[in-house]
Order: sequence, then C-alpha cells, then structure tokens
Amino acid sequence: MVSSARMMTGNMAAAWGARLSGAEYVPAYPITPQTEIIETLSRWFTDGTMRGKFVTMDSEHSMVTAAGAAAAAGARVFTATSSQGLLYAMEVLFTVSGWRVPFVLVNVSRGLASPITLESDHNDVLAARDSGFLQIHCETCQEIVDSILMAYRIGEDARVLLPVLVNMDGFTLSFTREPVILPDAEAVKEYLPPYRPKHAFIRASHPMAQGIAVLGGFIYSYFRYQQHLAARNALAVHEEAAVDFERLFGRRYGFVDEYRMEDAELVIVMSNAMATRGKAAVNRLREKGMRIGLLRLRVTRPWPGEAISAVLAGRKAVAVLDQNIAPGAGGIFVTEIRSSLYGRKDAPPVLSYIGGLGGKEISTAEFDQVADDLRRVAAGGDVPPPRLLYTGPEAEKLHSLLHIAGKE
Amino acid sequence: MLRVRFHGRGGHGMKTASRILGTAAFRSGLFAQDSPVYGAERRGAPIAAFTRIDRTLILERGAIAVPDIVVIADDSLLDDPLVAPLSGLAPDGILILNSANPPEAVRERYSIPEDVRVFTLDVTEIAQRILGHRAAVSAAMGVLSCRAAGIADDVALSAVREELGEIGLPEALIRKNENLARACLAEADVTPLSVDRLGAPEPAVQLSVPAYDDPTVGTPSVYAPGNMPLRKTGGWRTVRPVINLALCNQCWICFVRCPEGAISLDEKDNPHIDYDHCKGCLICVEECPTKAVAEEKEVRTW
Ligand code: SF4
Ligand code: SF4
Repeated sequence: MVSSARMMTGNMAAAWGARLSGAEYVPAYPITPQTEIIETLSRWFTDGTMRGKFVTMDSEHSMVTAAGAAAAAGARVFTATSSQGLLYAMEVLFTVSGWRVPFVLVNVSRGLASPITLESDHNDVLAARDSGFLQIHCETCQEIVDSILMAYRIGEDARVLLPVLVNMDGFTLSFTREPVILPDAEAVKEYLPPYRPKHAFIRASHPMAQGIAVLGGFIYSYFRYQQHLAARNALAVHEEAAVDFERLFGRRYGFVDEYRMEDAELVIVMSNAMATRGKAAVNRLREKGMRIGLLRLRVTRPWPGEAISAVLAGRKAVAVLDQNIAPGAGGIFVTEIRSSLYGRKDAPPVLSYIGGLGGKEISTAEFDQVADDLRRVAAGGDVPPPRLLYTGPEAEKLHSLLHIAGKE
Repeated sequence: MLRVRFHGRGGHGMKTASRILGTAAFRSGLFAQDSPVYGAERRGAPIAAFTRIDRTLILERGAIAVPDIVVIADDSLLDDPLVAPLSGLAPDGILILNSANPPEAVRERYSIPEDVRVFTLDVTEIAQRILGHRAAVSAAMGVLSCRAAGIADDVALSAVREELGEIGLPEALIRKNENLARACLAEADVTPLSVDRLGAPEPAVQLSVPAYDDPTVGTPSVYAPGNMPLRKTGGWRTVRPVINLALCNQCWICFVRCPEGAISLDEKDNPHIDYDHCKGCLICVEECPTKAVAEEKEVRTW
C-alpha cells in the first residue's frame, strides 16, 4: 500500500476535492446520503481551513441558483446534493448551465421515489442528462477527488465554461472507506490556476446582464447551439486535462475505463461503483476461459460516442448493464451505446440488462446469466429481449414482505 | 480475503468498530475497505457494518453475505429474525459475541456448527467497570475483531486511538477505552483466521424475473392495518424503565412523550409500559417530574 494514502469515505473524498480545489463559495442543503460532504465543508470553513463563504440555503433550488450566481461573479464554487434534491433543482440546472458558468456539483446517487429509498441507482443523475451540465461518474473514492480537480480544470476552460456534475453512488462509495491518495496541494495549484473569467464577472462596479430573455427562435437557437458546441469541446479539453493530471499526479483517466479488454471478445458495460463487482465477475469468468472484459462509462456528457464505438467495434457481443430504468423504454445507456455503434459494419450485437436498482446487489448468478447470454449471442444466437436481473431468493423474500403488507 | 460483518444497534458504536479493524488492517500494510449500512436510524435500531481485508485490491463492495468473522455487540440481536446475524457465516468462521453466556450455551441454543469458533465475553460488564457507564463498545469489539483477523495488538490499539480521536472523544475517554480494549484483548483466546483465505463461494441461486402483477399487489402500498405492533422493538432495550405507581402523580407526561407510544393509561389513569415495544430510550425516565420511573439493567435469561 502507498504510505501517503489514508482511509476515507467517498463523501470525505468529495470534501477534500472541494478543499484542494480552493472552492471559495459553498451553498449547501442536506440530504442523505450526501450530508457528510457539507458537514465536513462547514467545519472546514468554520475553523478557517477553507477560506470563503459557506451558506446554508432553504432548498436545493435556491442552492443551485446561488451556486450559478456566485460562479457568474467569478468565484470557484462547489456544492453537492442527491436524488430528490437534484430533481428539486432541475429547473435551475438548465438555467445556470445556460449562463455558461463553471462550478462543480457532486451528486450522490440514490434511487428516486416512489417507493422511497436511500440506496443507489442512477435515475437521479440521468434525469439531469440533458441539463447542459457535463457528467463524470466515479467508481472509487480516489476517482472522486481526482475527478473533482479535473472537473474544475475542464469546466473553467474558456472553450467550455460549463458546470460539471461529478457522480458517486450512495452507500457503496459515499459511506465506504478505502485508501485514497490525496493530491499534493502545491501541485493542485499548478493544475488549477485561479479562475479569471472574461465573460462573466458581475461586480458592483461592473454591472452586466446574464441569462437574458430572447424572443425569436434564431437568437435562442444560436445560444443553445453554442452551449452544445462548448460541451463537445469538453472532449478535447478532457484529454488535455487528463494528460496534465497524469504528469502531476501519476494517474490517468479516460472517457471510459477499460478492464481486461485487450483480447476480449465479450464485453460487459457498466458505470459507477457497481463496476467494481463487474470486474470481479470478469476475473472469475476469465478463470473459466472466457475472453471477456469490462468497459466502464466515466464521462457521459459530453457523450464520447466515437471513443466508445472504437472500443466496442469488432467484439463478438456486448452486454450493457444499466443501473437505471426509463419506464416504458428500458435502460438509458444502452440506447446511447447502440446509437454510437449504428451504421458500423463491425458493430457487435448489444444486449440489454437492468440491474442494481435501488442498490440491489448483483450476484454471481446474475453475472453468470449475462455471460451465458453473451456466449450464446456470440455463437450466432438471437439477441434476447431486455431483462431485469433478479433472483429467486429475492423473489421469495419479496413475497413474504407483500404478505405482511396485506397483499396476496 | 477476510470478510468481517459487524452487528449492533445505533449507539453501540459498531460502525466505529468496523473502522478500527479497517484502519488497523490498512496500517498493517493491507488493502482494506469498511462501510456501514443503516436505514432511517434511531437509537437502538439494528445496524450492520462490513470490513474487507486483503493483500490485493478489493473488487467487492456493499454488504457481506458470506462473512468469515461475525462480530455481535449484544446477544439480543441473535433473536431478531430481521437481523439474522449468523446468516452466511463460514462453517469454519469465527463468532465474537458480547454476552454473559458461555460459548457452549450460545453454540447449542443457535445450533452453530462445530467448526465455527465461538468466543463470548461480557464486554458490557467490563465497560461498566472501566468506563463507569454503559457506553459504546466500539473499542472492545474493534480490537477483538482485529485479534480474529490476525492484526497485531499494538496496531489495533493505535487504530482505537485514531478512530476515537476522529469522532472527537476527549483524551481521557480515549485512554479509558484503550484500557477497556487491553482488558478485552487479555481475555481474548481467539486463534486468528488467515487473510489469505479464499472464503466461501456465494450460494448458487436461480434467477427469477417478476411478471406484471395486479395493482393491488404491484403498487407500493400497505393494506394490513396496524402491522407496527408486529415489529417487537422491545428487544432493542438494554435498560428497562420501571414505573413506581406509588410515586406517580398521573401527570401523563411519560404517556405523551414516549416516542414509541409504548405507554398506555388504564381506567384509573395510571401509566403502564408495553415492554414488547418499549425500546429503552429512557425519555420517560428523563421527563417524569416525580422521578417515578426507575432504570433497571435488562437481563436476558434463556
Ligand atoms: S423507555 Fe420510556 S419513553 Fe422510551 S420507549 Fe420505553 S416507555 Fe417509551
Ligand atoms: S411522568 Fe411520571 S408522574 Fe407523570 S404519569 Fe408518568 S410516571 Fe406518573
């Protein structure tokens, strides 16, 4: 183990990301499983470890508005929420990204009501998929700190100027401690120069109007398309930021994380912390002689379609395991991946699974089912219909709970 | 890999115990991961925490279904079917239990397989003696789990200091907890398990995809009226409030303040406690103006 590492939760790693980045304004509102982040930051602002202003707001809606407004004044801003909180802020997510002001919003994923739950799936962050925020999804606590630094670097770049959502899973990352190497504070200063925007600089002495009203679709279209181009620019900017990050801190991040993909004929696609279990499944299946690998989605806005199709093209079969559900349609990522592969002669068949909703475990048996299906399709079989991963013992337990609830 | 599962109630400090093991393993040069799971927690509600230790990167997350070591903060948890703390314990694993009952009695009562090593210690009693009150047993259960995982005692003790410091305990209390930890280690006749264990494989299961159900089943609603009484929270109690009606002035304050609604009034307006549901929060003791409610240590007899 590296001796400079220390044990910390994902929430703690997020707080450190804000601290190392020199965030100087943090509007906050608590929600499980995110609260530990803002509690930690509140302590650091109170004891003078962090300089600037920590403000408790009356809702997530106000919180994101305040974050955008402070970023529009040229401050480096950090905030965090989860689940229903992100949805409550939904209106202003679109509003502030349209202002083209960069800041970092950490979302700690938690399944959405109803029914109410605390554990993780990704319908919350994916509801913000088209909000104009960039999105980075993390698998480990280390990746959370590192991605927050990268998010500021990318978001503040003059070619981008957009807010960034950094996502982690509730419980499996937010409350889970594992070793994290904290980037050196001096090196972070080199990586993240002070934010001095030329386009948004509200000062008392320097009045300006932002987020103006426009009537006339040609004006609206222009500005919206600018935002799209800025988000697309983030692809190249991410690569530069990743190269520089590796130079200073020794860790390299791509749009996707490729695990044992070199000679893989079969591929499982996952995102976030559950991908760790997917990697263990890949190791187990490889021991049985399968040539299988895992592709983890990391940057999902901008959508790195070309990078993804370059990795997947030519494989024999691909299974996308969505930890989200669009009722009436199915998995969300699977459609984006299929569309990225569309039209390529060497596009593999893409199978669709929904798993891990509301933090449900994905067992060995469920990964085995996915692997069996992949093998069958790779051998020329038909692509099976989309499937929910669920086990017999879970069905039994559910049945007994339904009985207690007075249902037969 | 070693997989260790901790069971306790809110207030026992079992999340901290799992962190003491995680930190101690990490300080010993191993990879470690620890995490608690709790719902909408209340003092006394069951919680679990998980620590994984290995020589290589840990590719697991979340709950541990097949633990090598189970650590239980209070023997009342053994009888809670929703907790089922022994479920999945490896047939050659270790059970560490805070209990006044001897290991053989526990083994017999819960039909624990012969090759599971059962270690019991009345940690609450030792804590009462050394700390002077019924306090969290995190330090004690933490170092006992370290012993079972083969972590050196001095590393375990420094992890106690680190973790209790982290949650802001004053120095004097940290010292007392170190003494408690030392006293427990002195009693701990536990042969450790190797970190190189392969661990039991997950049990094979069939998959089962739910079909569309009638909305009276398939919508998130509850029809059974009054099923709260079925959840007997009385088992959460470590201390029992007892009303002395001779001192009671029938002000009903306890009746109004009890968060569980466990106090009822009889036809003469005297308060009575429903011990099936009183969770032992002792708010009634605190609130009673005439000091008519006394505390008694809960003794469980099998
Ligand atoms: S201790 Fe008293 S207040 Fe608390 S649940 Fe029991 S009867 Fe109610
Ligand atoms: S609070 Fe005390 S005095 Fe009042 S009803 Fe309860 S037991 Fe009696």
